[in-house]
Amino acid sequence: MPVLPRFKNLIRNLTRKRERDAELDVEVRAYVDMLAETKMREGMKPEEARRAARIELGGVEQVKERVRDARTGAWLDSLLQDLRYGLRMLRKSPGFTAVAVLTLALGIGANAAIFTLTYAVILKSLPVPNPQQLVRYTFRSGDQDLGLSGPVFDALRKHETVNDDILAWSSDDLPVEENGAVTNVQGALMSGDGFRVLGLRPMLGHTFSDADDVPGGGPNGYQALLGYSYWKQHFGASRDVLGRSLTIHGKPATVIGVLPEGFDGVDAGRDANIVLPLAFEEVLNAPNSMRRHGGSFWLTLIGRLKPGESLRSAVANLQATEAAVRAEADPRHIYLSGFFSRFHMGVESGRGGRSFLRIVYSRPLIALELLVGLLLSLCCANTALLVLARVSSRFREFAVRNALGAPRRRLFRQVLIEVAMLAFFGLAAGLVLGWAAARSLVAMLAALGQPPPLDVTPQFMVIAFTAAISVLSALAAGVWPAVRASRVSPMLGMKQGAASSFSRGLGGWIVPAQVAVSVTLLAAASVLAGSFVRLLSENAGFRPGNAVLADVDLSAIKPSAADSTADAHKIVEATAQVPGVEAAAAMTSPPIHDWFSAGHYFSLGPNGAVHTDMTLWPETVTSDYFAAMGTPILQGRAFSRDDVTGEQVCILSAAAARYFFPNEDAIGRFIYSGGADPAADGKTKVAVDDTFRVIGIAADARFRSLREEAPHMIYHFARKDEISSEFFVIARGPSAGVVAGAIREAARRVVPTAAPPTVFTFDRLVTTHLRRERMLTALSACFAGVALLLTIMGLYGLLARNVVVRTKEIGLRLALGARPRDALRLVLWQGLRLVFVGAIAGLAAAVAVTRLLGSLLFGVSATDPAIFAGVVVALFAVALGASCIPAWRAARIDPMQALRYE
Amino acid sequence: MNPEQTNLLQGTLDMMILKSLATGEMHGLGISRRIEQITRGTFQVKPGSLFPALHRMEEEGWLASSWGESENNRRAKFYRLTKAGHRQLETETHRWGKISLAIARALEA
Repeated sequence: MPVLPRFKNLIRNLTRKRERDAELDVEVRAYVDMLAETKMREGMKPEEARRAARIELGGVEQVKERVRDARTGAWLDSLLQDLRYGLRMLRKSPGFTAVAVLTLALGIGANAAIFTLTYAVILKSLPVPNPQQLVRYTFRSGDQDLGLSGPVFDALRKHETVNDDILAWSSDDLPVEENGAVTNVQGALMSGDGFRVLGLRPMLGHTFSDADDVPGGGPNGYQALLGYSYWKQHFGASRDVLGRSLTIHGKPATVIGVLPEGFDGVDAGRDANIVLPLAFEEVLNAPNSMRRHGGSFWLTLIGRLKPGESLRSAVANLQATEAAVRAEADPRHIYLSGFFSRFHMGVESGRGGRSFLRIVYSRPLIALELLVGLLLSLCCANTALLVLARVSSRFREFAVRNALGAPRRRLFRQVLIEVAMLAFFGLAAGLVLGWAAARSLVAMLAALGQPPPLDVTPQFMVIAFTAAISVLSALAAGVWPAVRASRVSPMLGMKQGAASSFSRGLGGWIVPAQVAVSVTLLAAASVLAGSFVRLLSENAGFRPGNAVLADVDLSAIKPSAADSTADAHKIVEATAQVPGVEAAAAMTSPPIHDWFSAGHYFSLGPNGAVHTDMTLWPETVTSDYFAAMGTPILQGRAFSRDDVTGEQVCILSAAAARYFFPNEDAIGRFIYSGGADPAADGKTKVAVDDTFRVIGIAADARFRSLREEAPHMIYHFARKDEISSEFFVIARGPSAGVVAGAIREAARRVVPTAAPPTVFTFDRLVTTHLRRERMLTALSACFAGVALLLTIMGLYGLLARNVVVRTKEIGLRLALGARPRDALRLVLWQGLRLVFVGAIAGLAAAVAVTRLLGSLLFGVSATDPAIFAGVVVALFAVALGASCIPAWRAARIDPMQALRYE
Repeated sequence: MNPEQTNLLQGTLDMMILKSLATGEMHGLGISRRIEQITRGTFQVKPGSLFPALHRMEEEGWLASSWGESENNRRAKFYRLTKAGHRQLETETHRWGKISLAIARALEA
């Protein structure tokens, strides 16, 4: 039948139900009467005829019910009935409803929150056609991905064969002149044919091409594209914008197009408000353009695979061509295999563009998805237990309904509908909860002084995912109780004391499963927390406590290197004079910022042996650096003011000293900067730029990152022009407020026209630096806490119920001479047995899960026996506590009362 | 139950109802009597099956109904075939002919 009449029937059946029923009643009754009359005509007595007619009919109500069942939308009608009934039942026991909804909301909300992040960080694609065809070339060391150099871009484009083409992208702040004032606008540089690689078309105007991506910008000068929202905000979405001229870093650039809506560039978190050809870089960085420089790694390289190629073939192709690319991009082997030898070229999916967050948070988020999934399963288990208990207390209702003719599937559906309603409320609450949680998580991810790096407005995908897991949760929590309800026999409802036989064995497997999940989550939280504590407490080679750092940026006043070095000394001296400041110093790179710095140094051994290192970290500091930083001098002396003149001196970190002077005393020896290259004749050719006498050896410091081994370091003394316009001041004193004020005041006096420095405590820097670990620890601890609470509730509920159900039996035992102590032991033993089974299973699962966390751990084994033992002991202690109250109640049962009961 | 009376095969009830209404409009009891008559008592349709079928077929658009007076002046609901109902009767007859022929052949083989 066509859809429309069917729909009309449905509407009529639903809206004019009463009228239709009345008609049906008249029709059926008329049938009976006519039948009786026929029988009377055949010679039956009136009474007899009516009786026979009714027997033949088989019951007016039954016939009517069968007609109603045959009507269109009968299922919908009965579904609405079940919904109304279910809602009434939920309202009748608000305590049960609240606990069940809250439990589900917790599980669903936690999943929604983590998935919001996972989606935004890992799953979201660039808004371009066929993003799965994109690949991105990387240059990585651990969690750091530098991007690649101009020469690598050119060489890759020439040699690799799997891509249609590769684009180069670099996000940059562009100084745009507007009405005489210069504002920095987030923008990007893109190689000429970039849009073709991305498969995008400007929504207005046209784009530039490789022919325009040349110094000077080709025949028409430099051309610019505007970002969609920038165009709307700054140009009122006017179409006349095409042909307008922008002045960027003093150069004119003509607007030729507007980017499509929603495309913000390929670097996550950086908006492409203005896109210029890559060649514009030489204007921005004149006279030191990076475009042809082999040691500047500033480009995001994204390729679009040819049809039929895959990421795997791209990886293979890179391996095959890497040697040629390296030889061409770095012919003297200075950078790729020298200063940057700890970085490795690679290729990965470019679907989502380039995102710092994805590099750092992919693994933690996958781990969190796993943990939060376990948590949800636990929430479902608890809800299932609650619903089971409820079904068993309503078993008489189900038995009666069954006896009155409700089919089993109707009872099954009734329970499932009630659970589905719980899940629906849980979903609603969970979405709100998850959104709020996601927002605060993103705030936790923010770097020092920066806005949250992600947009977490609710996304369709997130809501769809959350709805899907809610459906799964409802099924997981509802199917088993529904099966139990549908199996209630009508006989059971009539029997006295039947509750006990129905309740027996409830949750016999759910509680151990809960314990197993709890053990897993507790173990995961414990190893993560252990790792976090180790990171905080491990001797880092410096003392964050009581120290304050300041980021001083003098670039606004454009000082010479000599000026900024002198200013650094002045600020440090002015700071140190303030009472309450114990030590102050300046340095060139910030500690634990995941920065990277490398220089080429070598030493000469006694027999002409050359020890050379191209990745030595050079750090230029002022005299009190070691006192201010809290890095101990192990041997020799620290810098002093007198080192400004005379022989050039340096201090080595302990590991560097061991490397350059193996088995020798480094103090008094010389370190050379410059080059030491192996020559063809087997001898090493050395070219000395500078010579430094080693005056001290400092303790190794995890300067780059607390998670990494201490880099080999060489400390130089700032003599005349070694400090550039942005440097860092560290000062130490008992009161952070006083020290911070001292630095601010010193900067204000020494460089009044520069921007005030950004000041923060070293401790704060450490917490920010470890925000990934902090987030993992905090979240996993939350999950474990909730898991433990749910398990206790489950165990307590089960035991308490069992004591009630077995009151008569225990009473009988007590009457027959068992002591209260035996009753106590009976219940305790029952609880502990469940926990024991669960704990064994949980340990196995925990080992598997914590192994997956392995790469996120620091200084803690994923299967640390002490931690695992602690988890099990803690769990047993808590379980014992949960069992105590029901056990005590069992022991206090009065045999006389118990036997009289029922 | 009388052993000579056969339970209606699934799907044949619709055809019986369509067939009995082919000659004109009738109320429920009339349809049931008519089926008994044309099958010479082989099929007896119980109200428990008849009414759901009538209402379903009305919703399908094969039957139309109206209220009228019965032979003893009683208010009753009369059913008649619609155009779609006539078409359906033809289809069913054709289909049934094919099936019964096939079964007869199968049993003779």
